[in-house]
Amino acid sequence: MFIGISAYFHDSSVALIDAEGSLIDFKKEEYFSRVKGDKSFPRLALQEMITKHNLSDSNISKVCFYEKPLKAWLTILKYSIKNNSLSNELTRNYFKNIWKSSIIFSYDLSKYLKVSNDKVLYSDHHLSHTLSGAYYNPDLPAVSIVIDGFGDDSSSSIHHIKSLQEITNVWSSDFPNSVGLFFTAITDYLGFSINEGEYKVMGLAAYGEPVFYKSLSETIYFKDGKLSLDSTYYDFMRSTTKSYSSKLSSLFNINERESNSSLDINSPNFKAYANIAASAQKIVEEILKDIFLFANKITGESHFIFSGGVAMNSVAINKLSKLDFISKIIIPPSPGDSGAAIGAAYYGFLQSNKNCLQNPFKVNIPHMLTPGLTSLADHNEDFFLINYERIADSEEIIDVASKLISENEIIATCYKNIETGPRALGHRSMICNAHSSIAVKKLNEEIKSRSKFRPVAPVILEEHAEKYFLLSDKIYDSYFYMGAVVEVKETKSIEAVVHIDNTSRIQLCKKDHILGKILKKLELSNIFVLANTSFNISSDPIVYSKEDAYLSIERMNIKFLLTESGIYKKINSST
Amino acid sequence: MIFAPQNDKNLYKTLVEFGYAEYGSALEMLAASKRAESSKLKIGYINHALDEYRHSALIFKVLNNELKKNNGFFEKEFKFTPQNVLTKGYVDKNGFLIEKLSLKKFVEFIYSNEFLAKQSFENLIKRINDSKSLEILNEISKDEENHAHGAQEQHEDFSTSSLNQIMGEEDRHWGFAKLFYNKAFPNSSLSAAYKRETIKNKMRMFYFKNLRFLNKIFNPIINFFILIFGGVAILLNTSSSENKNLMSINSGSVL
Repeated sequence: MFIGISAYFHDSSVALIDAEGSLIDFKKEEYFSRVKGDKSFPRLALQEMITKHNLSDSNISKVCFYEKPLKAWLTILKYSIKNNSLSNELTRNYFKNIWKSSIIFSYDLSKYLKVSNDKVLYSDHHLSHTLSGAYYNPDLPAVSIVIDGFGDDSSSSIHHIKSLQEITNVWSSDFPNSVGLFFTAITDYLGFSINEGEYKVMGLAAYGEPVFYKSLSETIYFKDGKLSLDSTYYDFMRSTTKSYSSKLSSLFNINERESNSSLDINSPNFKAYANIAASAQKIVEEILKDIFLFANKITGESHFIFSGGVAMNSVAINKLSKLDFISKIIIPPSPGDSGAAIGAAYYGFLQSNKNCLQNPFKVNIPHMLTPGLTSLADHNEDFFLINYERIADSEEIIDVASKLISENEIIATCYKNIETGPRALGHRSMICNAHSSIAVKKLNEEIKSRSKFRPVAPVILEEHAEKYFLLSDKIYDSYFYMGAVVEVKETKSIEAVVHIDNTSRIQLCKKDHILGKILKKLELSNIFVLANTSFNISSDPIVYSKEDAYLSIERMNIKFLLTESGIYKKINSST
Repeated sequence: MIFAPQNDKNLYKTLVEFGYAEYGSALEMLAASKRAESSKLKIGYINHALDEYRHSALIFKVLNNELKKNNGFFEKEFKFTPQNVLTKGYVDKNGFLIEKLSLKKFVEFIYSNEFLAKQSFENLIKRINDSKSLEILNEISKDEENHAHGAQEQHEDFSTSSLNQIMGEEDRHWGFAKLFYNKAFPNSSLSAAYKRETIKNKMRMFYFKNLRFLNKIFNPIINFFILIFGGVAILLNTSSSENKNLMSINSGSVL
């Protein structure tokens, strides 16, 4: 068994790969701690895996951390000492919080798992990202693009993958020249939470015009193979609390948005903030285009793997797919740091299997999205019956769920294994009829309390997708986990799940998927599209356990819950 | 679990701390529910967690309204960020209480801290009990009316204020904890636990109040370390991976 661990910077996680090279489990710490974005050492996730898979020194081949701890720590510290004063808060913060950084990984690991030292490996941060993508990639050679905030000593990298044993770092960009940190600074300026609100900026961009594009493109640009960021506009390399400087504020004719006020289409200054978002989004798209083109030039490859936090920008991915020099883009279902644990585990596997040059198994992404030999089927859910009644048993789930959806009801799901990536794909979702504007509005605005400018994702059976959406073969797999947006052909009957720019963040599904089965049944009612959003309250992680599910349906006042055992309905609720 | 600098002039910061403390309590109760074997006890913990989640959200709403009333700028530090519940120490990243304490100690802890929370709420309400705030709080109460539980019926006198509603629920939690404790451990005394938690709470308040002063002492020491070790750090050469096969670099090295 090969364990991969990601921690201390973004949401921490643990991945487990077996002796054949297959991912058999993946858990984020936030599932258990219930602290969204929990970046502390994933002790609960690791303990769960140790118990469920009977892990011990005897059956663990390697434990691999997703980055080089000292390298990552020194990169920022050296930059800060060289460029800031000794008493600078960033420098001091790095020293004060050394015991919270990845430097203590080995100590933390030893508290929960006893393995001999020679089994503990450290991968390069961006290599972990590349391998997390390579795991889902069937064909080599390929070129991997990694773009995130920063990791180890790089903020962006191009890796030429000739085989799984020959991955050359052909280009990288160093801190603080970072597309990820640029977009995060804009997120901060727009009053959204850092590392969480970036997708809101992406949604907001569709409502604006890129009127600040020219001025903003002078603060970050890619030219002659070099990514440059003008540090006078940004403060993330000086401050721990503010990511932009007053010079950036002077570019825009509006102050930063206070983060306590909600932003909606009717809010004052909505258009002005949307214009900033649109400008930043265009910058990201243009820089990505330049970096992909550069990668194609220096490697000659047209088959791409794209990972890192910026690879979650599904709007940009759709634009990239239209470029002629690209034949295919593989985006891992969890492209960010938590998914890098999969890459780290894969690194451990490949280090132990030096003759493994290609993927050792047949890659089938739609069937690889909810890994785990263990499920929650053995979790006791009798306590539901105190306040809920079971209206369907396990064999009636599809029939009853379809009937409820056709009646425009909303159903929450806590079904079998949780999804690998940040998007809920049906196992931890809230779903309703996408053809009903009333049901979608209730789901999005009343139950989920999301802003109107953020669209809900449509789910459709693969066989009907072409009727409604313009799909691209180059990024086809990513449609199974909402990795890219698409243009909509047939808007009229699904307006509620179409964004203002006539796009949707589509999810395709196979007939054997739980949502596929429900959709197949719904064809009889002329319902071909479901609306899907993650089963959580915005400040919480996605629901994991049965207790989380119960608590969340109570908090959100949802009437129906679907589990693998059946469907529950709140006692005394109408319908 | 909860502490509140009762005489702190900065009401906003006090509210923020209250909000996180309530959120931390919610997580502790949810963790306890996952370890409970009986359905009834599981639901009991979950209901307690539901109350605490709602309290946390309400307190941040009160903060928002107090800021608007005083035309105060919403500082980024006031924004609810879930991870702060760990960094501020309201939940220990090394383990939930239910993992670390025996059932007896766990219930003692809940009893003592719910009682302390009740006292702290009483003080907090006194500080924002002006007519304008009450008006705002009434609006919040209306928003939350649909979510209100039985505690409201027991505390009708306080139904004008969300904070009073919270206090009523804390009162109920404390009462439940005491009842459960006396039933499970009839020969034990809670007073020692209460005293212990009161001392801990006072120490936390002392630390909170003197944070700036402590920083004045520690910052020069940290600067000294930066001067010494920072110089060494700059000299450390982190090897570049440019044009190297990444699969061949030393996998045992942390640098």
